[in-house]
Amino acid sequence: MEVASKSSAYRARWFEFLTPTSKRWRLLLGATVWVIFFGLWEMAVLWGWVNTLLVPSPLEVIRTLYELFAERGFLSDVGISIARILGSFLVACTLAIPLGILMGSFKTVEAFFNPFVSAWRYLPAPAFIPILLMWFGTGELPKLALLFLGVIFFLITLIMDHTSQVRAELIETAMTLGGQRWQILWTVVVPAVLPNILTSMRQMLAIAWTYLVIAEIIASTTGIGAMMMRARRFLHTDEIMAGILIIGILGLAFDVLFRWLQRVLFPYLDQEGH
Amino acid sequence: MNMLDEDRMAQSSPSACPPPTDTPKLRLANVSKSFHVPRGEAIEAIKDVSFTTLENEVCVLLGPSGCGKSTVLRMVAGLEQPSSGELMLDGCPITGPSQERGMVFQAYTSFDWLTVQQNVEYGMRLNHVPKAQRRERARHFIELVGLSRFAGAYPRHLSGGMKQRVAIARTLANEPAILLMDEPFGALDAQTRWQMQELMMSIVESANTTILMVTHDIEEAIFLADRIEFMSRHPGRVHEEIIPSFKQGRRLRHKEELIGLAGYGDLERHILHLMRAQGGEDFEH
Repeated sequence: MEVASKSSAYRARWFEFLTPTSKRWRLLLGATVWVIFFGLWEMAVLWGWVNTLLVPSPLEVIRTLYELFAERGFLSDVGISIARILGSFLVACTLAIPLGILMGSFKTVEAFFNPFVSAWRYLPAPAFIPILLMWFGTGELPKLALLFLGVIFFLITLIMDHTSQVRAELIETAMTLGGQRWQILWTVVVPAVLPNILTSMRQMLAIAWTYLVIAEIIASTTGIGAMMMRARRFLHTDEIMAGILIIGILGLAFDVLFRWLQRVLFPYLDQEGH
Repeated sequence: MNMLDEDRMAQSSPSACPPPTDTPKLRLANVSKSFHVPRGEAIEAIKDVSFTTLENEVCVLLGPSGCGKSTVLRMVAGLEQPSSGELMLDGCPITGPSQERGMVFQAYTSFDWLTVQQNVEYGMRLNHVPKAQRRERARHFIELVGLSRFAGAYPRHLSGGMKQRVAIARTLANEPAILLMDEPFGALDAQTRWQMQELMMSIVESANTTILMVTHDIEEAIFLADRIEFMSRHPGRVHEEIIPSFKQGRRLRHKEELIGLAGYGDLERHILHLMRAQGGEDFEH
């Protein structure tokens, strides 16, 4: 809107350094790229550039997605997947948040745990799938364990780093105001690092989706990944793509949820759009 | 510091403030500090620093950068330990940080997640001051620094000078025995800076506080100080104690008054010479 008033004197240009675009324009551009993507895909199918057995049309995929939900009880698969993500992520967070904060606050705690935590970070979680299957059989436990292992050590490290970056002056101010160690931890360190913890959680939740699909593809009869592997056996590419689509949508939905939480929980921060 | 007494505070006019007394408030005796560098040799940062600050006095540590004046202040705050020597406040040795010695830093230290009111109440909350008393005292000090209109605002809506005023109010509301300030106006622009200096003087008059302040701004030091400890470096020690006697024990309200006083130019010239002699190593001509 501001741009419009200036446009009489200034030449409006599409490409300009250091110039923000309006929100409406951004939305429009963002939508356009998707229209082009699906348009090209639909054209490729219509004009026979691709084998429709391998590449179904986007409309076909959406129709299948509807069918999956309406007639084939796909909702329970989606529900199971979400429950697995949230369950294991919750356990990982209840462990990682206090541990990460303590490691970031006190060098002694860091010196004790960090060599252990860093070592685990370099082990790819899927390497544990065979042993997890042997230990926990084929129930829910091996999937939850894989998700947990894939997320926890990164989460601890991220939270530790954010905590150790809480500005020394804030802590020293509290010390010269008479704050005791635990008072300062609760009233300065924790509130200062909380927004960054939420950001770390948002990032790690995206990683958790990766491990979920791996777990469900390899060893599961339920969940979105398992549905996709079943579909592969019957050459139902439309169902596989519907699965991919729903994973993408859910990932995006969680991202939006976290961003909303960030705004609601930390209204005192300078958020974008101000 | 004295317990807050609303009535007396309200009635006290600037001239009614008790002048600095002869009671020693803070005493440093032969304080030294050396740092160990990785190679093993120790570097002596502070050597044999001794001085005394009287009750209700504004004492300024002045000196070129690198003379260790901030380190001395941090030792008084209890945030760093001396290698040797004695630091005493009201006759008791300083062993660590405490509510008695509240510090205002150069960097902004407002807690982003608390409003101005909550920020100023923060220290009292740590020290379990009852809620009603806390609120009342915070309101008083917020008014003292002229932020009443912003009591409900979060720090992100405040300018740099306002954030420093929050920090000052927060520290004073906590009733420290001495207020420590580490280049509190160093990050502010020139105009805000002298406004803050004048505000400081009005606070000193109405709140009866002993202040130990670090600065490298000569004019600021002369304007605010009842006593200046000029420090030299390599190693950091007190080079000269300066009493700006030309002020005749008066506290100035405006910077213009300072410039008009006979003796101001001479003192500034004297300190500039000291600074230049100290800066010789960095600025070879």
